[in-house]
Amino acid sequence: MELSETIKERIEGWQKRALTVGVIAAAVSVAGAFLSPAQFFQSYLVGYLFWIGIAAGSIVILSLHHLVAGGWGFTIQRILESSARTIPLMALLFIPVVLGMKDLFIWARPEVVADDLILQHKAPYLNQTFFVVRALFFFLVWSVLYFFLTKWSADQDKNGDAALSRKLQRFGGPGILLFMITMTFATIDWSMSLDPHWFSTIFGLMFIIGQGLLTLAFATIVVSGLTDDDNLAAFVKKKHFHDLGNLLLAFVSLWAYMSVSQFLIIWSGNLPEEIPWYLHRSHGGWDWLVLFVVIFHFAVPFALLLLRRNKRRANILVKIAFGIALMRLVDLFWVIAPNFHPHGISVHWLDLVAPAGIGGIWLAFFFYNLKGRALLPINDPRLSEAAAHE
Amino acid sequence: MAKNETSDKPAQAPLIEPGHTYGSITDKISSVVTTRKTPISWFIGFAIAFSLLMVFLSSTAYLLMKGTGIWGINVPVSWGFAIINFVWWIGIGHAGTLISAILLLLRQEWRTSINRFAEAMTLFAVAAAGMFPLLHMGRPWLFYWLMPYPNTMAMWPQFRSPLVWDVFAVSTYATVSLLFWYVGLVPDFATLRDRVNNRGAKLVYGMLSMGWRGSAIHWYRYETAYLLLAGLATPLVVSVHTVVSFDFAMGVIPGWHATIFPPYFVAGAIYAGFAMVLTLSIPLRKVYGLEDFITMRHLQNMAKVMLATGLIVVYGYMMEIFTAWYSAGEFEEAMISNRFNGPYKWVFYSLLLCNAVAPQFIWFSKVQNSVIGIFIIAMFVNVGMWLERFIIVVTSLSQDFLPSSWDTYTGTIWDWATYAGTIGLFLTLMFLFLRLLPSISIFEMRTMVVEEDKGGKES
Repeated sequence: MELSETIKERIEGWQKRALTVGVIAAAVSVAGAFLSPAQFFQSYLVGYLFWIGIAAGSIVILSLHHLVAGGWGFTIQRILESSARTIPLMALLFIPVVLGMKDLFIWARPEVVADDLILQHKAPYLNQTFFVVRALFFFLVWSVLYFFLTKWSADQDKNGDAALSRKLQRFGGPGILLFMITMTFATIDWSMSLDPHWFSTIFGLMFIIGQGLLTLAFATIVVSGLTDDDNLAAFVKKKHFHDLGNLLLAFVSLWAYMSVSQFLIIWSGNLPEEIPWYLHRSHGGWDWLVLFVVIFHFAVPFALLLLRRNKRRANILVKIAFGIALMRLVDLFWVIAPNFHPHGISVHWLDLVAPAGIGGIWLAFFFYNLKGRALLPINDPRLSEAAAHE
Repeated sequence: MAKNETSDKPAQAPLIEPGHTYGSITDKISSVVTTRKTPISWFIGFAIAFSLLMVFLSSTAYLLMKGTGIWGINVPVSWGFAIINFVWWIGIGHAGTLISAILLLLRQEWRTSINRFAEAMTLFAVAAAGMFPLLHMGRPWLFYWLMPYPNTMAMWPQFRSPLVWDVFAVSTYATVSLLFWYVGLVPDFATLRDRVNNRGAKLVYGMLSMGWRGSAIHWYRYETAYLLLAGLATPLVVSVHTVVSFDFAMGVIPGWHATIFPPYFVAGAIYAGFAMVLTLSIPLRKVYGLEDFITMRHLQNMAKVMLATGLIVVYGYMMEIFTAWYSAGEFEEAMISNRFNGPYKWVFYSLLLCNAVAPQFIWFSKVQNSVIGIFIIAMFVNVGMWLERFIIVVTSLSQDFLPSSWDTYTGTIWDWATYAGTIGLFLTLMFLFLRLLPSISIFEMRTMVVEEDKGGKES
């Protein structure tokens, strides 16, 4: 069953709006790039890491869904697929990060490395060529993953071959594995190495959990706007929103668990090579921001998601999911921006415009992908099982 | 399996073999307990376990006479077998809570036939684990000093120390696990009460069942209580092993001070725990003929969980090794090179073989379908997780920052005797449990009959 006209029009409307916002914001950002290039690259990186969190995060949530095949997964499967299919765009949007390498990463500046024994030690890993080669490798792996995850599902729409479900299920485990390894190193490269002296073994895992949280929040928001689609209306029940709410609760808790663990261990060790990371982030206004993160990234959504009725009503759950997605951006800003402003908080207008530019263009592509296929994988035999399993 | 509705559906073994009714389930499970005849294999097993328990009692008696000097601990390695075994045992316990609480919340019905004895395993493993910190104190009769209570000595625990958090975490965990297990047993106690002929046994089971009559209100309250306890137990699984990992990670010793430790320890605990559940359930189903209830599908699912958590553990190894180099800290690098080339390198290589290589065979469906294959891998993991704790505790302590304080460590005969003794304690309790209590939840298995029927008809 294809999409009905009303649904198609609605998605096209969103696509148009996203594209308008994206193009305007991108144009303004480019102007900003000429005015203050360093600031542009910094703001761009935050925006980029936010949106790739959804694009790449979709791969891992999709793999997880195929592995366990729960009802909640089918409700958002097509959203995750459409989002994973934006990986080529994200690879293209990575070019500005490469162009701004010297502005962003101090290890890319030979004059800094020349005076720094630690950076010389790390040079075999942290150097410009290898950085680009690794990024290409990550995009290659993610492309292979999203390609098969979405292709087999699309094939099944056409030919109804049930064996493809089995293939997808088998793909889930290795898919998660490959994603975890590549994303861990991508996180080290694109985020942790901004402070090249600092290191934390949990950092990659924590980042991935953040991406999973953001992806789930995003998918919840999108699906709630489409529940009147013929396919979805027949399948989606309150229970599925309840499950999505529980998953959000689990990921919020996991994120908080890892954040507290990292903080507690580094605080307690109080070692000169580790503690500056937190010192920079807890002074000069950053302390207020982190308090804001603790309250609105953890305490409030955690409390709200504990309540059953908030999870079973789509209109309430969407508001919570929206708040979580917003707080993901704030948290990323708190993790990334203090590298450039260790002595005090600094918010530039580009910090809003650059993420909006990337986001608008990304969303337009996402909606373009979304309207191309039915919103449920109707030929998947596991779907009817999930529907029967009440 | 032959009448399978659609050939495309991944062929999965059933959770309960066909042909069972309420009556046959109740008979089959409760007969293990109500029978007068105890199988000879039970006596043999119990005799071995009980002898090991005696080894534990005698080595503990000698320890109390002589002090911890009879163990191999020395000045840099002040945490020897005691901590290794504590972490090993407490980790094993975690699978029980995971199976009974987390899988319940995730609505994974396959947990039903294994949750009861997995929970029992948790309790007995926590009991065995608890012995070690107590004995390692040297004066175990003063254990209550660990508790914050007003006293004339004006002594107060150091609340910044994760060792104190351990006291709270483990005792809470033990309490909630016991309650959870007991609450789950109540309906089955009532079944046994109604079925045993022996007057004394009837009285005991009757008291334990607390007047259970199976009325609607009883079931309603039971379900609520059970779900609440499951919700309580879930964060405890995480918190206990997180605090255990803090015991190490809060310090600045190379090899201990790593932020990945909390999730890596929790995954390791579940990994070891599932290996132990497999180690116990495979002989159990064989000896008591419970293959209808603990089916191949259960073993496969557990093997898969084992593989998944094992991969998280390997991820931890990978991050530790990479970060040791990336950190550019000479002590971290020395620690890793010490693991690969130092005096304990063979322990380290065996650990990699057991924990990182052996479980990879679970990827193959041939191994997944082989009971023996799964059992062998589980044994590898049991050993591997012990070796892992040995490497963490011993390599880091024996060679820290100052070469002048380096020393090597080996366990003495008393270390091994105490360790073997706790295995005896664990197995003795396990054998008594098997004989006296239903090792599979009877009433939950009955619900499976209905669900399996429904599944068959609808599709």
